Amino acid sequence: MTTALVRSGFKATLRVALLISLLAHGALAEEEDRELTFQNDILPIIRTRCIRCHAGVEPKAGLNLTNSSSLLSGGESGPTLRIGAAEFSLLYEKVSSGKMPPVGQKLTAEEKGLLRSWINAGAKGVDAAASIDESDDLTGVEHWSFHPPVRPDVPVVRQSDHIQNPIDAFVLEQLEANGLTMAAEAERLTLLRRASFDLTGLPPSPESVEQFLGDDHPLAYERMIDRLLASPRYGERWARHWLDVAGYADSAGILSEDRPLPLAWRYRDYVIRAFNSDKPYDRFLQEQIAGDELTDYWTAYETMDRLPDDVIEGIIATGFLRTAADASRPDFNTIKNAAAQYYYPTMFDTLQIVCSSTMGLTVQCARCHSHKFDPISQVDYFRMQAVFSTAFRPDNWVPQMERRLHIASKKEKDAADQRNAEVDANVEKLKAEQSVVQADFTDRLFKDRLAALPEAIQSDVTTALDVEAEARTEVQQYLAEKFAKVLRPQGKELDAALGEYADYKSGTDDINFRIAAEERRRWLFDEVRAVYDLPGEATTPVLLRGDPLTPGPQVEPGSLTTLDTPTPFEWTAPVSEAKTSGQRLAFVRWLTQPQHPLTARVMVNRIWMHHFGTGIVATPHDFGIAGATPSHPALLDWLATEFVRSGWSIKHMHRLILASNTWRQRSRADSLHREMCESIDPDNSLLWRQSMRRVEAEPLRDALLSVSGTLSDRLYGTPQTVARQKDGEVIVPEGQDQNRRSIYVQILRLNPETMLQVFDQPPISVNCTERSTSTVSTQALTLLNSDVMTAAAISFADHVCTQQPNDPVGRAVLIAFSRPADSDERGLLSQFVEEQTTLYLNQHDEKTRISTDVVSEARRQAIVDLCHMLLSANEFVYVD
Amino acid sequence: MSPFDLMSRREALCRFGAGFGGLALNSLFSTPVDAAGIPSPNRAHFEPRAKAVIQLYMHGGPSHVDLLDPKPMLTKFDGTTPPDEVADDENRTKHLMGSPFSFKQYGESGLEFSEIQPFVSQHADDIAVIRSMFTEHRNHEQAIWMAQTGMTIAGRPTLGAWTAYGLGAETSNLPAFVALPDPSGQSVDGVRNWSSGWLPPLYQGTVFREQGSPVLHLQPKEPRPRSIEESRARLLQQLNERHLAARPGELELEARIASFELAGRMQLAATDALDLSQETAETQKLYGLDDDTTKSYGTRCLMARRLVERGVRFVSLFMAGQPWDTHTNNNEGTKTCCQRTDKPVGALLTDLKRRGLLDSTLIIWGGEFGRTPAAEQRDGKAADGRDHHPYGFSMWLAGGGIKGGQHYGATDDFGYRAVEKRTQTADLHATILHQLGLDHESLTWHHNGRDERLTDVYEASVLEELIA
Repeated sequence: MTTALVRSGFKATLRVALLISLLAHGALAEEEDRELTFQNDILPIIRTRCIRCHAGVEPKAGLNLTNSSSLLSGGESGPTLRIGAAEFSLLYEKVSSGKMPPVGQKLTAEEKGLLRSWINAGAKGVDAAASIDESDDLTGVEHWSFHPPVRPDVPVVRQSDHIQNPIDAFVLEQLEANGLTMAAEAERLTLLRRASFDLTGLPPSPESVEQFLGDDHPLAYERMIDRLLASPRYGERWARHWLDVAGYADSAGILSEDRPLPLAWRYRDYVIRAFNSDKPYDRFLQEQIAGDELTDYWTAYETMDRLPDDVIEGIIATGFLRTAADASRPDFNTIKNAAAQYYYPTMFDTLQIVCSSTMGLTVQCARCHSHKFDPISQVDYFRMQAVFSTAFRPDNWVPQMERRLHIASKKEKDAADQRNAEVDANVEKLKAEQSVVQADFTDRLFKDRLAALPEAIQSDVTTALDVEAEARTEVQQYLAEKFAKVLRPQGKELDAALGEYADYKSGTDDINFRIAAEERRRWLFDEVRAVYDLPGEATTPVLLRGDPLTPGPQVEPGSLTTLDTPTPFEWTAPVSEAKTSGQRLAFVRWLTQPQHPLTARVMVNRIWMHHFGTGIVATPHDFGIAGATPSHPALLDWLATEFVRSGWSIKHMHRLILASNTWRQRSRADSLHREMCESIDPDNSLLWRQSMRRVEAEPLRDALLSVSGTLSDRLYGTPQTVARQKDGEVIVPEGQDQNRRSIYVQILRLNPETMLQVFDQPPISVNCTERSTSTVSTQALTLLNSDVMTAAAISFADHVCTQQPNDPVGRAVLIAFSRPADSDERGLLSQFVEEQTTLYLNQHDEKTRISTDVVSEARRQAIVDLCHMLLSANEFVYVD
Repeated sequence: MSPFDLMSRREALCRFGAGFGGLALNSLFSTPVDAAGIPSPNRAHFEPRAKAVIQLYMHGGPSHVDLLDPKPMLTKFDGTTPPDEVADDENRTKHLMGSPFSFKQYGESGLEFSEIQPFVSQHADDIAVIRSMFTEHRNHEQAIWMAQTGMTIAGRPTLGAWTAYGLGAETSNLPAFVALPDPSGQSVDGVRNWSSGWLPPLYQGTVFREQGSPVLHLQPKEPRPRSIEESRARLLQQLNERHLAARPGELELEARIASFELAGRMQLAATDALDLSQETAETQKLYGLDDDTTKSYGTRCLMARRLVERGVRFVSLFMAGQPWDTHTNNNEGTKTCCQRTDKPVGALLTDLKRRGLLDSTLIIWGGEFGRTPAAEQRDGKAADGRDHHPYGFSMWLAGGGIKGGQHYGATDDFGYRAVEKRTQTADLHATILHQLGLDHESLTWHHNGRDERLTDVYEASVLEELIA
């Protein structure tokens, strides 16, 4: 434990040492306790030392120190002080270093001490900063993404035979304008493998390859897509994308203990369920930001027998607002400035996650100043923060472990309390009974054992043991030492000794049994890591330069006024006894209005990105002025409006995109096409072909498990815990179901699973809006030499040898690459198996080399090697 | 020889150390670097003074008043309460606690060290002690983030990652940034100490280990015969070449093929770099490898020298846990840390110097903060520990164009607050980058809508007085 975190409470009343100079006296001075105030203690110092320059109409450096309301705002150099942090306050810095006052007498040590103590005790008497950065600079508000998408007409193009749906028309329009065409449609199996990885994050099984190849129905392709979308594997794949932007982790972050979060997985499962059930995206956001308010949790809690399913789902969904690192513990309330140091940062991160995931905006710049890149004002930033303040309450923080709701209604809870009180009482009674029995038998044991001693010493021993230890004579001491253990055994020895009495055992066994039965009656509820409004009134100050130690004026909840939304943010304060403010619901209703300029665009762009490698806006986290210009602006708006029109159906968007010729293009464009197109559009931003893509960390691990036939298909539940090995590798240890999909592998911020980390699973500090893809030699080493790979290769080899003993090579290629082996390849691989078998046999002496066991083992090893190289090959990790 | 060496046909690709991303490929294949792509400057902005950095990170926050910043007044007023001006603002400590260690002047410069650093002090004339450091948080993790990444928030790239991004490696066979954690346990904040944050993962520190295989997965658990390895590698190569032949122009595929080749070369280079048996008995003894107390840290110091010698750009050394966090028994704890590290660090300086490497290797010594001049209170009484202290502490630099034999800045009479030439972390970072030929304002990475830099929003200045 970090001891420094546990601090003795910081007293608002300070010890004021009245000493002329410690150096002169070297002795303790008199002390008294009283609160320092600006008026009584600080203003007099300022009047003598600072007033010559820092007062009046035109104070130096724009700083008037005589006014309690201008101290925080400060002057040209920024805030003069930070409440509670003298060491980092400009005022203290200047006077303690002797820079101020520049002429005349410097402050005495006593004055410096007073000033310092006053600031550190909370700078009593200072008003909130009056002046804030209220920029009314509107430059940039005309930016395209700040205005609602308007459904464009589908363009008419020349190559109309290439059109499956409007997507193709928009893409062709731009290709034709540049004199380009689409690439041919990819082969069927290529499409199957691509769709399979895109939608489920797994390679197609050999059975589904055969099924698809054998399906000559005109809608075979559509049926294949439908099968993939209906698979529960789809939700696992797409939930992972969302968990990236939500910043999901299974540990609290911040402190080194990196405490695991035992309940976080419920939110992860919620996301998987949401994708699998194609929950409308507007509803999905509403639940995540205000599920408790949307489903009226408090009414259900207080009036219903049990919580309805939608309410439970609603409160679980608010786990979205709990993904930001939050290591708070109950003892944090003893830390000086804990809100500034720990609670506010969690709120800042939460707001960043909300805005970057849903609106593709980097609002965090506006925490410190208005209009850095985008025309977002600091006041708007804090208005949005105010939306969440009623729940988060930095002034009245609830430690992260305690911020949870039970899956229970009030009635259930009351009933449970009543029953559990009964259980407590009964258990207590039983335990009392037990101790009586124990005392009786302890007595009996004493007597029985005493009787076994020579009669002559029995009474002396008894007396020796009865006398208090300090009062014993030498002889008594000797006797006590010698016989105490035998006659009055303690702990386990006593239990063992008493156990010898059959009637003792049956008596206590019976009591224990009754205690256990009582305990089973205890009524416990599942818990949810949720967000909900806390009682009491929340206030939200604008923080000067984003600094919680320089609070400014209060603001009311609101949203981004920069955005041109048909419906403004509307919220009225509820009646005072209301359990929840309705602020988050008002915010998310504003966010999910059909014509919100960003919500639909940002999500369709993400969907697009995961089907093409790059978004229509290449910066999915930044739709603002510094973000990338859309490659196909009309298409983006068409998709956004289509998304809303479909009832915010994500699966509808997949079907559209995967049905398009644009998506179905080959990535391996023929050289003529490629040469022509690359000269005009080297980055393929016009989509003259599909992009070859490498699978990410999780699908890579999942595919390895899948092809080796060991992937578990168990959905949901607590995470597979990870363990750090002595050599530093973090692995999923062997045990029950260690081969579950990677989305179920516990994400500890400080101990990421090694293989996933090596393949670029993002480290979660806030959230990840776009993954990096690196190609480094540690990946090669992991593939070649890690235990995980070795094990996968062995399982894979055994799997293919069992399934197709006559053609393991052909089977291995089919499983790994989702296509039959061609004849050249078959030759190459068969030859490898032959040669490799010989190499293994050569490891043996001539005598053993001919044993059939040795020969078959050598062949098996050769096939393992073959399988290992297939899994390491480019074709396994790249999708055409 | 490694089997993968058989096919080292893309030597040129491997300019980039342990990996290569868009840049290496772009520069090699002359495709333009797109605006949102991965631009790495991969070159110095001006003539560097140092080619490499060895960071001796001291987890926990070493006690400056017991090591580098002598305070006679603390001794004089030992046991008394301090004036308000330097009283602990959190009331955790109360009575001033003088250092039990005597300070002496060393070298021609007369730079002062306490007696518990008999080896490092011999290099006084090469060392510049900054006595006026201050930081912004008094909890370890946040202060570590400040020291390592420039701000008190999590998830930013470390100094080593910025250096790797800015300069790449000098060798093709080893990573640019190597972390040497303590095999006996994780340091506080674990892997974040060598994280690349939001820089591409390519720039994160690669962990080299002093026991067992030098790099994780460098070898399989059960080594395969050479001929077997070679034929496996050949098969992989054939599979990949067939795959590539059908996909001409896919640079990523070439890069991935090359990464396997580099892995092969790294197997050799890393094994060689960490083979300390190549060192003479005298050198091994110099680093204290013959003594159980100094062996572990000495091994890492010697590894660091061998890595730097082979072109690694940035090496960070760590100790398990946070041994300098002397909340109790400060004197003994600080002394024990010195016993474990002083001789190896002294040896590192001696060894680099005699090999002519000190001029081009910057050594950074220090932790995330210092310790309080007053003793911690336990049960209302003065105990024997010192608490975390962010307001004034010391760090030292040596080599790499640093002007030794000087102390820079000062704390007040009690070592409480940095008062002269106050030095924020950003100044130190700017100076370190400057010695490497990098301008802290120009070394940027576009992230979340802005050009991020190590020194972020701080107005940082290179500490010119420290430079020779």
